[in-house]
Amino acid sequence: MSDKPEAGRNAKQEKAQFPEPETTSVHIFPEWCKGCGICVAFCPKQVLEMGKDQKAHVAHPEKCIRCYLCARRCPDFAVSVYGHTRKAEEKRNEGTDGEK
Amino acid sequence: MAAHLPYEYIYLRYKKKFPHVWCPGCGIGIVMGSIIRAVDTMNWDMNDILLVSGIGCTSRMPVYLDFNTLHTTHGRALAFGTGAKLANPALKVIAVMGDGDALAIGGNHLIHSARRNIEITTIIVNNNNYGMTGGQFSPTTPPGTFTATTPYGMMEPGFDICSLAQGAGAVYVARGTVYHVMELDKLIAGALEKPGFSVVEVLAPCPTNFGRANRLGDAVKMMESLRDGTITQVQAEKLPPEERVGKTVRGVFLDREDSEGYTARYARLCEQAAGGVSGK
Ligand SMILES: Cc1ncc(C[n+]2csc(CCOP(=O)(O)OP(=O)(O)O)c2C)c(N)n1
Ligand code: SF4
Ligand code: SF4
Ligand code: SF4
Repeated sequence: MSDKPEAGRNAKQEKAQFPEPETTSVHIFPEWCKGCGICVAFCPKQVLEMGKDQKAHVAHPEKCIRCYLCARRCPDFAVSVYGHTRKAEEKRNEGTDGEK
Repeated sequence: MAAHLPYEYIYLRYKKKFPHVWCPGCGIGIVMGSIIRAVDTMNWDMNDILLVSGIGCTSRMPVYLDFNTLHTTHGRALAFGTGAKLANPALKVIAVMGDGDALAIGGNHLIHSARRNIEITTIIVNNNNYGMTGGQFSPTTPPGTFTATTPYGMMEPGFDICSLAQGAGAVYVARGTVYHVMELDKLIAGALEKPGFSVVEVLAPCPTNFGRANRLGDAVKMMESLRDGTITQVQAEKLPPEERVGKTVRGVFLDREDSEGYTARYARLCEQAAGGVSGK
C-alpha cells in the first residue's frame, strides 16, 4: 500500500474523467501530429495515409486490427487506438489494486 | 480533446506542454511512450516516482512527464538521482539521458553508479550524436560516420554501452530500439522491477542531425534501418559469423540477483552504527 494514495494527481483518477469513445477504433489527433509518416509506413493493414496537409489520416478504419503499433510508434502521442486494455487496468479489475 | 488522445496522456503534462519540442520522427518521444507503459504495468503511484535528467534533447523528457521531475545539469542526472534516492529511499528513481549526457560528460557518474549499485533505472537514448547542440560526435558515434565535428568521418571507436555497464557492475543491462517498441516496453519494465542499478540502451533515430549528416533518409528510413540492422540474441546465436557483421544485438544481456542495492546496504550500516557495533 502506498502511504499517500490520495495525494496529488493519480493516473487512475485522471483516466476516469475521460471515458474512451467506442465508435472508431483508431484516431489521429492532428494538433499533435508532425507528419513524420512512421504510423503510415508501419501499419500492417495500410489503415493510415498521409494527407496533403502533412498529417496522418485514417483512410480505412474497417481494416484496423487494433494491433496498437501505430500508437506505440508515434513519437508525438498523436494516435489513439480504442479497445485496448492496459495490463494495470486488468490487474485493477481483478481486484489486486490495493497491493502496490 | 483528451478523449482523442492515447491513454498514455494521463501521465503527460498534456495541457500545458504539448505538442512537444522534439523534431518530426525523433525517437525520443517513442522512448517516452515506452517508459509510460512500463511504469503503468508496475501500478506505481505517480507521486512515488522521480524522473531525473541532465541536459540535451533526451533530457527534456522530465518537462513532459507528470511525475516528480528534476531537469538538472549536463551529465549529472545520476549524481542528482543518487542524492534524491539516498535522501528518500522510497522514491523510485528513473534517470533518462542522451548518449553524450551519459557517456561523455557524465561517463564517470555512470560507471560509479553501476559500481555502487544504486537503485536507479537508467534509460540511455542512443542517437549516435549530440542532438541538441547541432549534431557533434559523441562517444557512441560509429567509426567512419559524419557529424558536425567529424567532417572526414569519425576516427575514434565508440563505446558499447551495454558492455560498459556490465563491466562496471550494473545488475540489469538491456538494449532495445524504438522500432521494436513492444519489446522495448518489456525491457524497460524489467529494468524498473530491478532493485539495483539497471541500464537500458535504446537505439533511436535523430533524423535532423545524425540522419541528415549521413544521408540516412527520413525518420521512416531510419526506423527501417533499426529493423534491418538489429537482431535478437537468439538470431545472433543461429547466424553464421559473416552474416552477423554490422548487426547490433538486442535483448537482456545481464540480469543478476547476487548484488544488494546501495540504499539497502546503507540502511544496514546506519542500524549497525546506531547500535554501536563498529563492524570491525
Ligand atoms: C557543462 C555543459 N557543457 C556543454 C553543454 C552543451 N550541451 C548541451 S546538450 C549537449 C549534448 C547533448 O547530447 P546528448 O547528451 O547525446 O543528448 P541528445 O541531445 O542527443 O539527446 C551539450 C554538449 C552544456 N549544456 N553544459
Ligand atoms: S492499430 Fe494496427 S492495424 Fe490499426 S491503424 Fe494502428 S497499426 Fe494499423
Ligand atoms: S507517427 Fe504520429 S506524428 Fe508521425 S505521422 Fe503518424 S500520427 Fe503523425
Ligand atoms: S535534434 Fe535530433 S535528438 Fe534532438 S529533437 Fe531533433 S531529431 Fe531528436
